[in-house]
Amino acid sequence: MSDLSYMRNIGISAHIDSGKTTLTERILYYCNKIHAIHEVHGKDGVGATMDSMELEKERGITIASAATNVTWKNKEINIIDTPGHVDFTIEVERALRVLDGAILVLDSVSGVQSQSITVDRQMKRYNVPRIAFINKCDRAGANPYKVTNQLITKLALNAVLMQIPIGLEDKIEGVVDLIEMKAIYFDAGEDLIQQRFAEIPEELKEEAAAKREVLLDVVSLVDDNLMEAMLEETVTNELLIAAIRKATIALKLCPVFMGSAYKNKGVPPLLDAVSAYLPCPTDVENTALDLDDNEKVIVLPSDNDLPPVVLGFKLEDGQYGQLTYVRVYQGLIKKGDELYNTRSRKKFKIGRLIKMHANEMEDLVEASCGEIAALFGVECASGDTFCDPKLNYSMSSMFVPNPVISLSIEAVDKKASGNMAKALNRFTKEDPTFRTYVDPESNQTIIQGMGELHLEVYVERMKREYKAEVIVGKPEVAYREALTQKAEFNYTHKKQTGGSGQFARVAGYIEPIIHDDNEDSPKDYEFVDNIKGGSIPTEYITSCDKGFRLAMQKGTQIGFPVVNVRAVINDGAWHPVDSSDMAFQTASLNAFRDAYDRAKPAILEPIMKVEVTCPTEFQGNVFGSINQRRGIIVSSQEEGVTTTVEADVPLSEMFGYSTVLRSLSQGKAEFTMELSKYGKVPQSVSIELKEKYQKERAEANKK
Amino acid sequence: MEIQELIKSSPLRVFEESIGGGLGRGNLGVLVSRHGVGKTACLVHLATDKLFRGEQVIHVSFSGNVEHVINWYKEVFNEISEIKGIDDASKIYNDILANRVVMNFSQETVSIDKVLSSLETLVKHGSFKADTILFDGYKLTSANLGDVRKIKAFAQKLNVEVWFSVSPVRKDVVYNEFGIPDTMGPYIDIVDLLIGLRMDEKENKVDMTLVKEHKNKMIKELSVSLDPKTMLISK
Repeated sequence: MSDLSYMRNIGISAHIDSGKTTLTERILYYCNKIHAIHEVHGKDGVGATMDSMELEKERGITIASAATNVTWKNKEINIIDTPGHVDFTIEVERALRVLDGAILVLDSVSGVQSQSITVDRQMKRYNVPRIAFINKCDRAGANPYKVTNQLITKLALNAVLMQIPIGLEDKIEGVVDLIEMKAIYFDAGEDLIQQRFAEIPEELKEEAAAKREVLLDVVSLVDDNLMEAMLEETVTNELLIAAIRKATIALKLCPVFMGSAYKNKGVPPLLDAVSAYLPCPTDVENTALDLDDNEKVIVLPSDNDLPPVVLGFKLEDGQYGQLTYVRVYQGLIKKGDELYNTRSRKKFKIGRLIKMHANEMEDLVEASCGEIAALFGVECASGDTFCDPKLNYSMSSMFVPNPVISLSIEAVDKKASGNMAKALNRFTKEDPTFRTYVDPESNQTIIQGMGELHLEVYVERMKREYKAEVIVGKPEVAYREALTQKAEFNYTHKKQTGGSGQFARVAGYIEPIIHDDNEDSPKDYEFVDNIKGGSIPTEYITSCDKGFRLAMQKGTQIGFPVVNVRAVINDGAWHPVDSSDMAFQTASLNAFRDAYDRAKPAILEPIMKVEVTCPTEFQGNVFGSINQRRGIIVSSQEEGVTTTVEADVPLSEMFGYSTVLRSLSQGKAEFTMELSKYGKVPQSVSIELKEKYQKERAEANKK
Repeated sequence: MEIQELIKSSPLRVFEESIGGGLGRGNLGVLVSRHGVGKTACLVHLATDKLFRGEQVIHVSFSGNVEHVINWYKEVFNEISEIKGIDDASKIYNDILANRVVMNFSQETVSIDKVLSSLETLVKHGSFKADTILFDGYKLTSANLGDVRKIKAFAQKLNVEVWFSVSPVRKDVVYNEFGIPDTMGPYIDIVDLLIGLRMDEKENKVDMTLVKEHKNKMIKELSVSLDPKTMLISK
């Protein structure tokens, strides 16, 4: 396909359970990709087509973002189905990196929830234009007007209604299109769910006219052409559509659509909106860094005639072997072409090139600019850039959060042990938030991730996909240590044991870095060189830096990394023979440890923002459960029969919460959580942790 | 400035003194004015002062937007911190947050019995020993007198101070010279403290007038007022 204006790369992201997977399923159906509709929690046992992993079918959640390709009218649409659970946000972030636009799905009853806020923040980070779809308008208590207001107040989006509902809750019949000023019902065609246009019902005429006025007002404020046309009273629908498209792509507007995917209401107009308002690949500017030219930023024009630049954004080791999902940003790739991986600096040949549709695939001869395809059997890690061998570009890296939880695992036997190693190797390549290492003290294999569920899923996958049965230890929280006040040091490292000795003196101070809430990626460490007059020669300055970094890897309190340190050196001494890189590293390391105790170190723990939704009668139980977990209730909102409680709770207290919550609410409450901040642990817990650490160290020393 | 000193020098000490030493537990206090004069700011400043003193506060909002309320606290805290220069501000702010819960209800769909039972649930099951409860944006002037009596009984049972911020609902209300709407009439007997807020355009400040203090009806111009720039109660 050469004309890119017919292509859309979009994502569908939202809060868990707002019906993304169902919506995707309906899109596949309306685009003739599948011939029958299966429900996510389906009784027919088939499950939704997009949730391809067996595990996903069982749990009714979507874990991996499968890329799939559909055609709607004359437009080719690539859809990335993204997971909603926050433990898997790296998947969402990755998907967003390769998308040109997105549909933000919201629940018509619960509206903008904490996760919608997270997802929206990610979209802002990657400048993804979006349209909103208010789903589940058939639910009792559906209120698309309220949800639209929340988009404005809670997400600060310039949201504007493009439709109004015809009937709500169980009486939902269709929508009124505020541009064409027509009613749309969904009862035509052989399957009785296709669109039928009609006159706007009498009782809605006035409201529709009023809402169209609002639409015109809002759009004219961000588009001068429309404003002019309004003053001259020459507004046409074409002009209005063009203005909405322009403003949406410029992130100045968020058009709002509605319906119920489950009841087959509103999906075709949403697809029309995707093609009308979301950008095509050439509408968005993409950039790469030239590694041969000091990482200079290069704009990648979506031009098939240029040498190819491709991003590998997802790895999957499925039933078909190893797949790498790629997006082509520049040029065109063909079967048999040679590409260069700029991270591993290895060349490889494109063997098979395919296009994925959930569980089926189609072989391709070539993939052109803007397309999303998959390569077979390429050795790489997720996020790698592949270029024409003449180029050396890297697409800018993606934001990767640090893991907050760890778990020890042990294979049950030798065979499982080999399989486990294979599985871990694969998972760490697929998912940068999943990490693994062998603890040198306990000799245990440790896996780290973004939450209990995140790690649980990988342990399950090890068992199912790699036949690696493992014994799982107790989950452990990723604590941090930090100084609370400034402390000075003046340390001399001296050793004279025959041969050349070691000598180094460093003086200065360490102090906490105070972070501002609004910083995007706050620094954990800062090194300041205030040496005047060469009391430490320049070549040893980096040695000091290294020494501090080394010391920070393991604090003396409980052996966790020390964060938020500013280390300043302002004096020192050296010896022409006995000073060395090693001597200065050792001096700095010891200087840090020495000053650290005087800097009143504290232990920090991850505090999660927890949001529990439950029927109001269980509110008391929920309050109680949060209180027992050292949690702080921030707010509670009662609306109709449900209550949403928001609280800050230490992660260490959240293990097994889903089971507890289920039993105290007869299974009717649900919760989500995400990292909110690191907070100081209370005195009693701090003492407990320190004692445990001392005991472990004593035991390790015995061995 | 240290927190103890901050409490001592707060204009709220003057405010308390002029309303007979404070509202007192088991009592209802009302701030009333037209829309947009600054009642919520007033309430939040009152609450922040109590939080500084280590008391626990439940902020009951009827506005439908919890974030909005939370932002008010942030702003009031930042203003105070900017004017007075609080030592270790971010730590203190985090500490006081642990003693504040924001609850949101819709007055139209949630009955007062349910609101009170939710509050009691929080106090009992959430082990939150509230000292003060704020009813922010409660439509007192259209509430049924029985409901207000229930709130009063609740305040006495839990031994808490209850403050209301009230804006009249009806468009045809008449305000007297102190900013008190005529629709307040039937409720004056139940409340223990009534303060009217009124914008003084000439002096560019919001005047506060005490209309009822405990058992006594009176008219007393308070020596504190609301600064429309900082939205804080000032001397």
